[in-house]
Amino acid sequence: MKELLKIYALAKRNIKLRYKNSVIGFFWGFLKPFLYLLVFILIFSTQFSSLGNYVLYVTSGLIIWFYFSNVAGQIIQSIISSADLIKSIKIPPIYFPIAELASELFNLCLMFIVFLFVMYPFGITYSFKLFLFFPAVILFSLFTLGFSLILSGINVFLRDVGILWNTILPAFFYVTPVAYPISLIPLKYQSIVKMNPVYYFIELFRHIVYYPDGPSYKLWTGALISGIVSFMIGYFIFQKLSRYFISCI
Amino acid sequence: MHIKKHITNKVPLIVLENVSVDFLENNVGIHSVKDFFTIGKRPFKRKTILKGISFIINKGESWAIMGRNGSGKSTLLRTISGIIKPSSGKLTVNGTIAPILALGAGVELELTGFENINLLLSLSGLKQKEIVRLTDEIIDFSELDSNTLQMPVKRYSSGMIARLAFSIALAKNFDILMIDEVLAVGDQGFQGKCIQKINLIKEQGKTIIFVSHAPAEAMKICDKAILIENGNITQSGNSKNVCKHYEALFQS
Repeated sequence: MKELLKIYALAKRNIKLRYKNSVIGFFWGFLKPFLYLLVFILIFSTQFSSLGNYVLYVTSGLIIWFYFSNVAGQIIQSIISSADLIKSIKIPPIYFPIAELASELFNLCLMFIVFLFVMYPFGITYSFKLFLFFPAVILFSLFTLGFSLILSGINVFLRDVGILWNTILPAFFYVTPVAYPISLIPLKYQSIVKMNPVYYFIELFRHIVYYPDGPSYKLWTGALISGIVSFMIGYFIFQKLSRYFISCI
Repeated sequence: MHIKKHITNKVPLIVLENVSVDFLENNVGIHSVKDFFTIGKRPFKRKTILKGISFIINKGESWAIMGRNGSGKSTLLRTISGIIKPSSGKLTVNGTIAPILALGAGVELELTGFENINLLLSLSGLKQKEIVRLTDEIIDFSELDSNTLQMPVKRYSSGMIARLAFSIALAKNFDILMIDEVLAVGDQGFQGKCIQKINLIKEQGKTIIFVSHAPAEAMKICDKAILIENGNITQSGNSKNVCKHYEALFQS
C-alpha cells in the first residue's frame, strides 16, 4: 500500500511536469489522435468502403496505437529523466516506468470515456461487451510495459536506443494496420505484418468496440501469453541492469 | 574538564562487512563500437569504487567521512542509504535514514516548493495527513514564505534550494542523518541554524554521518571520522587525528 502511494506520487509528478507552463495542458493528449483522425478521414474514408464504418475503425486503432507509443516513449526516457531523484532517494528504479504507465493509463481511461460519447453518431453500439475494454487494457499494458522496460534499461547505457526508437516509430506506425485494413497489404507480406504483436492487440480492441462479434478465445489467449511473457522478460532484464544504473546516469 | 560518559552497551546501527561496490564504466562511442568489432574490446569496463570496506557505526555516534574528490565518499553514503547495492560483502542497517546526498536532494526544478515537499515526503512513504502536518514545520525551518514556495524551484537560488531540501529531509522521523557536503551553500544564518539543529539531533541520541571537506567543520560536528583513499578506509578513529591525516594529504 505504501509502495503504491509512492508510485501514485510519481505518476502525479509526471502529469504535472508534462503540462507545466502550457495553457490547454492535458487536452494536448486528445489533440494528437484527433489530428491523425482528421487526416485519415480526409484521405481514406472513401477508399475503404469495405470497412463499413471507417471513423470508428480508425479511432479505435489510433487510441490503442497512441497509448502504446506514448507509454513506450515515456518509459524509455523514464530512468534518465529522473536521474537526480534516483541518485538521492532510496526508491526501486522500476517505480519510474510503472508510474509512467500509470499516468498514461489514466489518460487512456479518460480518452476511452470521451471516445464512447463521441463515437455515438458514428455507430458504436453500447453493450456489456464494452467492459471487456478493461481486461484487454490490463493485458496490453503488461505487454507494453515489458517491452518498454527492456528498451529503457538498455537506453541508460546506450542512448542510441531512445533515438532509434523515435526514428523507427513512424515506420512502425504505417506497417501496423491502424488506419487501413490488413487486406490492403499484399498477401505474401501479410505474414510479416502479422508477426507484430501490436496488431493483435488492436484487433482485440476492435472486436470490443467495432466488430459486432466479441474477441475470440484465440485472441484472448494470444494477448494473455504475450502480455505475461513480455512483462516477465522485461522485468527480468530491467532488474538485472538496474544495479548499474547509478554509474551511467 | 568535562568528560563524556561512555555508553557502555553500544548498539550497532550500521555494519559494513567487507563491502565492495562496482560501477560500470561507460565510454560508449563510435570508437568503442569499432574497437568492439575489430579487437573485441568491451565498451563497458567494471570499475571498483569501494574496495572491501568494513566498519561499524553505533547508535548516537557522529562520524565524519573525509577524503579527496572521487575517493568514494558519496558512493559510500549511497550504499549505506540503500541506493546502490553492494557487489559483494554484507551491509546491515538498523534504522531509518534521512539522506541529504546532493545539493537538491532530488528536488524537481520544474515543480513548486510545495509540490516538492509533497512529492519527496510521499516518496519517503508518508501519508497525506502526516505530510500536511510536516509542511508547517518545513516552512518554519526553511524560512521560505508561502509566496516563494508557490514558485517553481528553478527560480530559487542555490541557497534557497539547499534550505528547502534540508528542511524536507529533516522533517520526518529518522535514526540516522546523512549529509553530503551541502551545508556550504546556505548563507551564514542558515548554516548556523543547521549546525544548531545537527547538535540538537546529536543530543537526542541520533546518529550522524557527515561528509565534509572542511576539517574545522567536521571536528566541530563529529567525534569520530574515517578517511577514504581510493575506495579504502585508510584512517579511522578520533576526528581530530583523522583530520590531521586528511590535511597531510594536501601538504606534499
